[in-house]
Amino acid sequence: MRNAYLTYAARRIAQAVAVVLLAYVFTFVVVSILPGDPVSTILHDPQNGFTDEEIREIIAAQGLDQPIAVQLWTALSHFVTGNLGLSMRSGRPVATLLAEVLPSTLILASAGFAVALLLAAVIAYGTQFLPARFGQGLLRGFPSLFLSVPNFVIGLVLIHAFGFQLGLFRVIEPNSFWATLFAALALGIPISAQIAEVLIANLDHEARQEYAAVARSRGLGQVGLFVKHLLKPSSLPVVTVIALTIGELLGGSLITETVFGRTGVGSLVQRSVTTQDLPVLQTVVSLAAVVFVGVNLLADLVYPLLDPRVTLVGSGRSRQAGAEDPATQTTEAVTA
Amino acid sequence: MSLAVPPSAGRTPLLRAGCLPAAALRGLSALRLPASVVLSLAIVALVIGWSLAPGLFTGQDPVIGVPADKLLAPSLAHWFGTDHLGRDLYARVVYGTASSVTSALIAVTIGVVAGGTVGLLAGFFGGWVDTVIARLVDVLLAIPNFLLAVIVVTALGFDTLNVAIATGVSAVAVFARVMRAEAIKTRQATFVEASFLLGGSRWHILTRHVLPNASRSALPLAVLQFGLSILVIASLAFLGYGDPPPASDWGLLISIGKDYLKWPWLVYAPAFVTITTVLSVNRISRWLRRID
Amino acid sequence: MAPQDRLSAPARAAPLLEVEDLTVSYGRNEVVRKASFALGRGGSLALIGESGSGKSTIARAVLRLLPAGARATGRVTLDGANALALSERRFRPLRGRTIGFVPQDPGHALNPVRTIGAQALEAAALLDVRDRAAGKALVLETFAEVGLDNPGRVFGSYPHQLSGGMLQRVLIGLAVLPRPALLVADEPTSALDVTIQKRILDLLSRLQRERDIGLLLITHDLAIAAERTQSLVLLKDGQVQEAGSAKAVFFSPTSAYARKLHADVPALNPDRYGALRDPGLGRLAQAAGEASKIEVRGVTKTFHVDGKALTAVDAVSFSVPAGTTHALVGESGSGKTTTIRLLLGLEQPDTGDITVAGERLAGRGPDALRGVWRHLQLIYQNPYTSLDPTWKIEQLVREPLDRFGIGSREERAARVREALASVGLGEHLLARGPATLSGGQRQRVAIARALVLRPDVIVLDEPTSALDVSVQAGIMEVLLTLQAKLGLTYVFVSHDLALVRQLAHTVSVMHRGRIVEHGRVADILDNPRQPYTRALRASMPAGISGTARGVPRRVPILAEQSLP
Repeated sequence: MRNAYLTYAARRIAQAVAVVLLAYVFTFVVVSILPGDPVSTILHDPQNGFTDEEIREIIAAQGLDQPIAVQLWTALSHFVTGNLGLSMRSGRPVATLLAEVLPSTLILASAGFAVALLLAAVIAYGTQFLPARFGQGLLRGFPSLFLSVPNFVIGLVLIHAFGFQLGLFRVIEPNSFWATLFAALALGIPISAQIAEVLIANLDHEARQEYAAVARSRGLGQVGLFVKHLLKPSSLPVVTVIALTIGELLGGSLITETVFGRTGVGSLVQRSVTTQDLPVLQTVVSLAAVVFVGVNLLADLVYPLLDPRVTLVGSGRSRQAGAEDPATQTTEAVTA
Repeated sequence: MSLAVPPSAGRTPLLRAGCLPAAALRGLSALRLPASVVLSLAIVALVIGWSLAPGLFTGQDPVIGVPADKLLAPSLAHWFGTDHLGRDLYARVVYGTASSVTSALIAVTIGVVAGGTVGLLAGFFGGWVDTVIARLVDVLLAIPNFLLAVIVVTALGFDTLNVAIATGVSAVAVFARVMRAEAIKTRQATFVEASFLLGGSRWHILTRHVLPNASRSALPLAVLQFGLSILVIASLAFLGYGDPPPASDWGLLISIGKDYLKWPWLVYAPAFVTITTVLSVNRISRWLRRID
Repeated sequence: MAPQDRLSAPARAAPLLEVEDLTVSYGRNEVVRKASFALGRGGSLALIGESGSGKSTIARAVLRLLPAGARATGRVTLDGANALALSERRFRPLRGRTIGFVPQDPGHALNPVRTIGAQALEAAALLDVRDRAAGKALVLETFAEVGLDNPGRVFGSYPHQLSGGMLQRVLIGLAVLPRPALLVADEPTSALDVTIQKRILDLLSRLQRERDIGLLLITHDLAIAAERTQSLVLLKDGQVQEAGSAKAVFFSPTSAYARKLHADVPALNPDRYGALRDPGLGRLAQAAGEASKIEVRGVTKTFHVDGKALTAVDAVSFSVPAGTTHALVGESGSGKTTTIRLLLGLEQPDTGDITVAGERLAGRGPDALRGVWRHLQLIYQNPYTSLDPTWKIEQLVREPLDRFGIGSREERAARVREALASVGLGEHLLARGPATLSGGQRQRVAIARALVLRPDVIVLDEPTSALDVSVQAGIMEVLLTLQAKLGLTYVFVSHDLALVRQLAHTVSVMHRGRIVEHGRVADILDNPRQPYTRALRASMPAGISGTARGVPRRVPILAEQSLP
């Protein structure tokens, strides 16, 4: 068992590293090979007023006169050694630019994540205790409603209602407590819907299992059944789902920061997109992949330790027959 | 031996064939559709109507406004009110539907065709084909969806078609994954081995057994992805990566409206239309998943 | 007290369980209609019926475990309490203490992520145990009582670490632990192997006797019901067809349905298909000199799983003369499925030789095997998974003709209709999908699909184990008629000795990958020499009559009621 786990862990870590490196290559290829040529567009833009001499210097400095493969190799080796390059726009190191905006985004993302988890738990577990008729249907409706609302709309509604009408916060102070809280709400609500949806589906699934009926025949009431039997098996697979929502958190903060006027990684991306500052974009996307892959790796490493049904066999992890495969449940989360 | 068959059973394949609204409305009574599904189908039909023939639904001009009528609240004359240039907002929403909905369709098509094919081949052939494809899909999944769409649209240039392509690319991995899982499940099904024993070639089994069964399960996902694509495209338009004004994509309308929060209908009306459309699409997807 | 007295005199001292005019409906669909029966203290009653008869629904209604959306009306009196009228809060104290439940599929009846001990303590908590240690002692004691060898190990195990038979013992233990007056057992053995089935039923009978528990047994098996309970209630389509003492219903059934059910149970009618089977016996006698249709010689197949070698088939040999039926009998894991996969060329043997109709299978690639498959076909166990749900019946039956490019368009259409007719299906089904057909109809379609190629040999992999007995009887009749008419050779895989006895000519008994005994069916089944065959033989439920001559049966309750 122990050995099997170590083999499994080593495999997963190697896979994760490979995926991150390939993600870097993929991003690089997308921005260098696709038909648009942002670099020459910027450089030859008369507004920027570069002379031909300067253009040649910049191209040489960025290594853009080299063949693509050489450029890729240089960039990748720099990335692996932590050298993130220079912003094409401002000429400052990308690492410095990121360091300036990262704390704000981390605060927003972790607050959003907390909101998502809390809300998902309240909604999903709430369905188990509210009376079937009224409250439960309402709670069950929340996830699909939340999933249909663009998060910038949630943000605008919150700003309009709590900022403009109630005056709880002012838009020009985006880092105040209330402004951050509402930004976190706007970010977290759609994500909570994904988690809650999977959680509710799992709870329903477990409640329909024969063992739930047998446990009830042993005299367990609703609360006892939920706490002792349904909570663990329905929540375990959600570990994987939560890890998958990290990607949404990163993508969502881009829009949320724009809506709330916060300075952060999102606004940096937004600025870099409009100015087509490729080194910055490349770095942000690659780091997002690192975070995403890292969190999912963690989830994959922890999961077998939590679920006794998981048996580790040579080639990977598998479950006993009859157990729901967590992968089939997570596909929903990815798509939702 | 009983030959009794539920009366609705014969009609479901009609629906699966894809001619949704017409068939569904015809078979309403036989299928006993839930009221919410009927409503959703009606809303989707209306939205499709807007995108095909916007002129039939409004007599107002979406581009040229009446400056005297600017920023009017919703009324009988202007259902959704007017904007800062005095243009009728309802007309702008209706005329913006075509590009919002068409883009979502393009995105889903890219995702379904590219992702579906790749996933189907990986799942069916297994072995090294599967290993390679599965890793590539992992790479695509590793880049957060929205960021992926953003860099693709950055590389392609800002316009609505490119936004659609970018959204499609970001959906490829999801379809590849689901189709792969479905193909593996179907490949291992008893009826596939049965067909093999009855003389079926690999190609026959792939095209006639695995593909139909796997796509049947992927249909609800495609519908769900359609709703999701509307949201992603609206987000990209909101950030200004689509066609510039006077185009009136829903996301763009909301983005313009956010600068006029004193006249909130400029945000709420297009947001309401977007949310209602996506809700309806999601409801249909859920229903399809249940009847399957 | 004779059981029939109880039934005929409901006015007597209040029975433990009394069901009056119970009706259960889902919306407008009534799945149980006005069912009534009564069970006295310490007595036993079986609800018998095929799938869809409503037997499990009645059990769930009595237990108040019906799924949301079901509505039960009528009256269920449990130990003096009006069970349907009580609030959930008032009913809960009765659960476990008054009424215990043994479910059908032990593999899904325990929470997979909690240890068995943790769940057992819930049952112990229903008695007034002082503390956790006392509870655990009680659980361990009960585990020992239900025949679990190592109670301590079981206590700390997760459900997936135990076999189905052990899990069912655990579940029975948990059900009887709080000393209920009534035990509801819903098909407690249908998910288990035959030899284990008998032991579980013996355990239930023993506990019922020793602890004076009332037993409500739900089963589809008339023989088991008659063997194990005092009264029978026969259900069809949610309505009671016949009720009475086991003896009365079993020996002198009054309803047509009861008579048909009796006639369809293989164990009770070993010679039902005698006339159809006898031509094959004749061929068997003639075949002595000629080459057999199927020759399997010393075939071995080993699988490597996680570095461990598992010999699924070990030096298996048998031969089948043309026009006869050879049965492969064994429990799950005995290697019978691997044997037929080798026979079909779906797996390659490590050693040994397989010859079908004079052609050697060894070393053939898929293309060469196609030629063999024209003459060698397989009928799968589960007709719900062996037909592509997206195809029409007409396409399904025509598929092999298309694939092998046989005949013109018209000829193919004619052969499809002919094949369907030969399995007793009408042309009106041609345009339908498999989802609209019953299980029996689907299996007939699967047989028609194989027949349309006009093969010589058909391998039948438990072709009726997913179907009801009355449907099974129809399928068997079709298969034997076809054999008598076309001279087909069958290899018939089954775990059901009674069925094998009805239709096979020769038999090989498999156990752990080896053939332990083989020969003519009558010789092997009437005079088994090997202990394993004898154990299999003894597991056959025999009803009351004892068609199983010379087999020791332990049916204490009914011992005095043997055949008059």
